[in-house]
Amino acid sequence: MVISTPDISAAADPAPAKQPAAKRAYPGALVVVEGIDGSGKSTQLYLLKRWLEIGGYRIHFTEWNSSPLVKSATRRGKQRRLLTPTTFSLLHAADFADRCERQIMPLLHGGYLVLADRYVYTAFARDGARGCSPHWLRNLYSFAPAPDITFYFRAPLDVAVNRIVAGRPKLKYYEAGMDLGISLDRSESFRIFQERILNNYDQMVETDHFVLMDGTVRVNKLQKLMRQIVGEKIALEQFAPKKK
Amino acid sequence: MTRSAKNTIARLPSNGRPAKKKAAARPVTPPSRFYGTPLPGVKPEELSGTLIVIEGTDGSGRSTQIYLLTEWLESQGFAVQTMGLRRSYLVGEDIDALLAENAVTRMTLALMYSTDFFDQLERRILPALRSGLIVLADRYIFTLIARAAVRGIGRDYLHGIYETALRPDLTFWLNVRPEIAFDREFKKSQTISYWESGRDMSLSNDLFQSFIRYQSLIKREFEYLSKRHGFLELDGESSVSSVNRVLRHRIASHLGIRSTQYQPSHALAHLWR
Repeated sequence: MVISTPDISAAADPAPAKQPAAKRAYPGALVVVEGIDGSGKSTQLYLLKRWLEIGGYRIHFTEWNSSPLVKSATRRGKQRRLLTPTTFSLLHAADFADRCERQIMPLLHGGYLVLADRYVYTAFARDGARGCSPHWLRNLYSFAPAPDITFYFRAPLDVAVNRIVAGRPKLKYYEAGMDLGISLDRSESFRIFQERILNNYDQMVETDHFVLMDGTVRVNKLQKLMRQIVGEKIALEQFAPKKK
Repeated sequence: MTRSAKNTIARLPSNGRPAKKKAAARPVTPPSRFYGTPLPGVKPEELSGTLIVIEGTDGSGRSTQIYLLTEWLESQGFAVQTMGLRRSYLVGEDIDALLAENAVTRMTLALMYSTDFFDQLERRILPALRSGLIVLADRYIFTLIARAAVRGIGRDYLHGIYETALRPDLTFWLNVRPEIAFDREFKKSQTISYWESGRDMSLSNDLFQSFIRYQSLIKREFEYLSKRHGFLELDGESSVSSVNRVLRHRIASHLGIRSTQYQPSHALAHLWR
């Protein structure tokens, strides 16, 4: 995605730099799950992974969490509450870049089926809810390869929030969006923050070709549908164990 | 006092006296304080201070000039705040550790540097500018853009990341030839660093060749950035005192300071050569 900047016409680019990660310039495939906390996405991706693992497919699972690279910075920033919407976003982008350059891209080039629990859309939805501008975020993550399938697990806000609140003794400061100053009550802040994220996800369904999955459907029934869609959209035989 | 000086002078197109070459073409319309959308929550009209950037490669004399300018400005009664690369509380040390390991990839490093930059900008520089201080930046987004661009990261991508950054009131570029930078750096540390010679780019196995080729690539990016952003280019190879004189003249005219007389104190006299 090209962002126009005010001074761009002032001088000619000396030699166009190579753009990173052209789409589909590799034999691998990328399947992504997205959705708010408590939407059931991780459970479903886990089951998909088990199915493929048991079948002996060449797969790799990756998730949206802090690599050792930024762990100390994230901890420092969170403990002392120093993160702004911009630095929060950039730190996660650096973390993602590390995963992308050292894991995802080499695996895609090496012909793996990569399964990602959360992807760039998490940043678009969450950092957007924090106030980062959408086009700035789109540009920031433009080096990421486009997924072959993006499953969007959607559960009503109450269902999702109750699942999380029931399972966690205490919501963390940034997790609850307390840095936004929406509410002094953590559960209420979390709820409003998740609602904003949910709205941002909903707006991407068409533009980013999400496959909408109803998070209230029974687990095994939903998994059956997920496997069916993967089988239709991905040439799985490409990742099947090689016969001797 | 800073505020009134700024209101009359700050918005004029740059009319500095670069040592060489013509002043870069700049749009006549007064530039806004940000390149694009301002950072979330920042009101540009609150920023009454002045942001002055000194860019240039290692060995161009940047840090020396910043010491001297700080003393001069303080002697004139201006409060000064400084910033530089890898000085953020948030990730400054993490970047040092990454560089020491040589294991980091280009995009990750570029984004760690941008985190470092914005942490300083939001938590130190913007508060200083709101209080009317003068901020002297020992390098700015331009070094970060140049370093990433020579490693193949798109220029539009990089400008997109930094479009929420504050546009400096004045940007000086201390231009030196790579050979001179090499001599100065070698004299200073008796060796040439892995990153300053761009060894991650596999340009040459010979350290000198690698340094020269890397710095030449960086210099070419700066020539482009200079046109695009209207740098005031100075001859970084002339003496410390003459570079300092040009800097003082240009800054004085921007701030409305009458006297540009300056003799470094005893503590800084050793820099004056």
